[in-house]
Amino acid sequence: MADAYIFDAVRTPRGIGKDKGSLHTVRPTDLLVTVLKAIQERNALDTREVEDVVVGCVTQTGEQGTCIARFAALEAGYDNSAPGVTVNRFCASGLQAINQAAANVAAGWSDLAVAGGVESMSRVKMGSDGGAMFDAQAQWRVGTVPQGISADLLATLFGITREQADAFAVESQKRAAIAMEHKRFDKSVVPVRDDSGLVVLERDEYPRPDTTLEKLSGLKASFEMFGTQFGLDSLTRRVYPQVDRINHIHHAGNSSGIVDGAAALLIGSKEKGQALGLKPRARIVSAVSTGDEPVLMLAGPVPATELALKKAKMSIGDIDVFEINEAFAAVPLYTMQKLGIPHEKVNINGGAIALGHPLGATGAMLLGTALDLMEERNLSTSLTTLCIGGGMGTATIIERV
Amino acid sequence: MTTKTKNGAVELSFDKDSGVAILTLAMAGGHNKINEEFGEGLLEASEWALGQDGLKGIIITSGHKDFCVGADIDMLYKERDAERFYGRVRELHQGLRRLETCGKPVVAVINGSALGGGCELSLACHRRIAVNDPKIQIGLPEVMLGVIPGGGGTQRLPRMIGYQASLDIILQGKQLRAPKAKGTLVDELVESKEHGIERAKAWIAENPRAQQPWDRRDFKFPAPAPTSTDARDMLLAAQAMLYKKTAGAFEAPKLALSAVQEGTRLRDFDRALEVEARYFTQLAMSDQAKDMIRTLWYHRTGAEKHKDLPALAKGQDAGIKKVAILGAGMMGAGLGWVCAKAGYDVVVKDIKQEALDKAAEHVAALTKKRGRHLTDEAKKALEGRIKLTLDLGDLEGTDLVIEAVFENIDLKHAVIKETEGVLAEDGIWASNTSALPISDLATASKVPERFVGLHFFSPVEQMPLLEIIAGEKTDERTIARSLDFCKRIGKTPIVINDGYGFYTTRVFSTYLMEGAQLVSEGHAPAAIEWAARTAGMVIGPLQVFDEVTLTLARKAMGQAEKYMSGRARADEGIALIQAMVDTHARHGKSAGAGFYNYENGKRTGFWPGLAELAKGTVEASDVREVGERLLLIQAAEAVRAVEEGIIQRNRDAEVGAIFGIGFAPNSGGPLSYIDRLGAREAVAKLRDFAERFGARYEPPKLLVEMAESGKRFFDAV
Repeated sequence: MADAYIFDAVRTPRGIGKDKGSLHTVRPTDLLVTVLKAIQERNALDTREVEDVVVGCVTQTGEQGTCIARFAALEAGYDNSAPGVTVNRFCASGLQAINQAAANVAAGWSDLAVAGGVESMSRVKMGSDGGAMFDAQAQWRVGTVPQGISADLLATLFGITREQADAFAVESQKRAAIAMEHKRFDKSVVPVRDDSGLVVLERDEYPRPDTTLEKLSGLKASFEMFGTQFGLDSLTRRVYPQVDRINHIHHAGNSSGIVDGAAALLIGSKEKGQALGLKPRARIVSAVSTGDEPVLMLAGPVPATELALKKAKMSIGDIDVFEINEAFAAVPLYTMQKLGIPHEKVNINGGAIALGHPLGATGAMLLGTALDLMEERNLSTSLTTLCIGGGMGTATIIERV
Repeated sequence: MTTKTKNGAVELSFDKDSGVAILTLAMAGGHNKINEEFGEGLLEASEWALGQDGLKGIIITSGHKDFCVGADIDMLYKERDAERFYGRVRELHQGLRRLETCGKPVVAVINGSALGGGCELSLACHRRIAVNDPKIQIGLPEVMLGVIPGGGGTQRLPRMIGYQASLDIILQGKQLRAPKAKGTLVDELVESKEHGIERAKAWIAENPRAQQPWDRRDFKFPAPAPTSTDARDMLLAAQAMLYKKTAGAFEAPKLALSAVQEGTRLRDFDRALEVEARYFTQLAMSDQAKDMIRTLWYHRTGAEKHKDLPALAKGQDAGIKKVAILGAGMMGAGLGWVCAKAGYDVVVKDIKQEALDKAAEHVAALTKKRGRHLTDEAKKALEGRIKLTLDLGDLEGTDLVIEAVFENIDLKHAVIKETEGVLAEDGIWASNTSALPISDLATASKVPERFVGLHFFSPVEQMPLLEIIAGEKTDERTIARSLDFCKRIGKTPIVINDGYGFYTTRVFSTYLMEGAQLVSEGHAPAAIEWAARTAGMVIGPLQVFDEVTLTLARKAMGQAEKYMSGRARADEGIALIQAMVDTHARHGKSAGAGFYNYENGKRTGFWPGLAELAKGTVEASDVREVGERLLLIQAAEAVRAVEEGIIQRNRDAEVGAIFGIGFAPNSGGPLSYIDRLGAREAVAKLRDFAERFGARYEPPKLLVEMAESGKRFFDAV
């Protein structure tokens, strides 16, 4: 098997995913065009060499429908010969795109691909694509609950308290603020511009560096009413009958932010890199996805991490940098607790609680963040993992070369 | 000029002048029920009407008291051939489609109750006009019998009134009184059938080209639209509420929701009906539906109609006018109110004025809550029929005394001796004891042949069951008179033979004690409750234990020891209750402390002390097995009651358990539960449980014999 390498990684800044967000007026295609163009320009890439454009996107409807990957590539001026494919593995779609592109390179079926993700949550609402998951039959036969209920269930089952979750959130904000202050994201962030070249958004706009424990303690748990009054908590009982009451700890301040953004990485074989004069920055060591119990839903990073390590013949101590998506504070807290990972190694530049979680793009953004971090700190390995709807997990290990 | 004709189901008339055809549903036997004859008759009638020259519109009404109260249950119950059944359902759908797409306005004049298929027939009309009479019920109760509306109801109603309002009716099997049905199941209310026909004719004249909304090209589903996120959220909430209420134990409401969700996504209405037909067929063929229909329809109506029960001689009167109740607690006061409401003169006696004052409050509260529909005059008359007294003299000439004093045999004997003299010459003495053998109580009576057990359930104004216990010497006429009384107060009877705990109490005790036993074994209390509910029990054992109070069980332990000695028991459960009551003052809900903690009468979570009292530990409960244990321990007890002759008719075992103690209605009752499992499998499971959890699970002899001979309690369908 050949190795797949990362030559470059870029992302847009993350805009607040509401009407008031800076990127709200930008089409999702244009978000993707921004990063695809950046990849092309930064690497002086002849796009006839691109054998696929693999893009993660969760809500593939409306203006994110009809294979946004293909049309963004064409609008970005990529050669007609560069095909596109849009993939959906819920919140890990962006990482899945990278893993798929890498797998093709490793298999020898492809030599060069651009992989990443996009999501304009302000324009295409989460869940607006309807879906199999929401059928009553899925409920009767399998069981599904909204993610927030799962997150609170996870916290309840593993004794994660509101105080811990809030403290984690404050730390995420603090780390993101420091990273931004030291311009640690600037290496990979490309501003979003309009067609006249005017800057629409230059830096991440979601962080709230003034967040304090006290401020968070005043926020109401988001899913308490849905859970208790609308009976959603009782949907968890078929799997967790012993849980009498779910401790609702998550709120807007300790859960991931709803944002807009896109990311792209350039991935290929060593030989293709040499031929095109591209310098490999990291090697993809292992890339896996796992399935787990769907009602708890968010515990996936643990089995995914374990499998990725196993495939790489590594142990947890071999990893220098962890990116564990902060969908909800309980997810990284649970993963750290379960796998014995020190907080210092996790989400060093903050995470989605501070920066936001543009569903389909996040996985690709996190991998880029991990790569930048390793280079900046001269570390050699990182593992990026995300929890996923339907009880799945995806993880990717990379090492610098 | 009017033309008339008729077929097996419908009387038809066509008035040339107005151009209106009237189809009067008038099947032989006094009831209109949907079966093949009905379908063919209606279709033929529609074709006849449509063939009339100058037809402007069609009115459908009934020649009977009811409009049409649904499908022929026999057909539904006996059919096991899915293909044939599905074919019939599709034919019915097509017949109704023919009517609603005929191009002429069709109006239903609902002059009597329209339930199930009858209601669905009206939904297939372009307009529904109902007589404004609270006695007329309109609704879709199908899920109560384990099926879903199968005549287009799950598709037409949501398209008419949207998800929320339609699911509210369909998922809960609601029946609305006509005056309350306007705006949902009914478009217009009228004073009489004649007035309705008149209004229908006017509507026909104004709407010559009536069409169903869903057949119009510009049809818009009432917001939220099926594919919207609002609809998704609303339906998710409906799933959650359903799960919260039923723990997923009932298939019909679940699949009703699936049928509504999936069918309403289809633009083509005929294909949407196909979705409904497939779910309807699936359910109609299921064991759950068969068992529910057998008990909740056949056995319930059998009990309500006193089928195979002692009856008064023709023309004879029960001779009960004045009823006295001894003991003015919640039960006594409630029972007094129930009797007064039925028109009896009532005396409620106690020995404490304080108790009478409380009873007066309770009576007033009941009138306020449950007598809302009564006029002020009727309310006054009702309360006027109740006399609260300390004076034994007020009981003079009582035709029926119902004793509801404390459960102590010596006290009861004393009360019997003290008050028997007030009875009218032919008076009946009844005890509302929940466990003490009637024959033992009757030893204190001078007229044991007129001594009977009338076991009511709390809250008496709400609970439908009356368990009538015949003591050794109770004569048949006393039972017949008691049954007459039972009918007048609107209760459903079971009539059983005497024995400690009768039928319901002994079955119920096994449930409660097994709940306590499971706690002691170390199962998480929440998992025990959930296991019971997923098995179909209406309330979890610990919650209901708190409601009947642990103190009551604690006190009954001595009695049980006396009457049931030698029986294997839930020893650890008993020890747990003893410790909870004696050492930890956990007396139950009324004391604010039982298995649960309470605040202002509301459960706030389990008492954390339970974990320490548990003898064992369980890593993760097997919910399915716990549920099976909770049902089987009761079912085995029910079989013992049959074996011992306490139960005289198997019907009573089912009706008593479901309506008296909340036994899993999805099973059809404890004996149906055994039948579904198969006696052999039941014996095997009981033996396995006996080995693992204690000898109280040993299968009764009767069941072992049935397993050997392959017998069942009820005929298979």
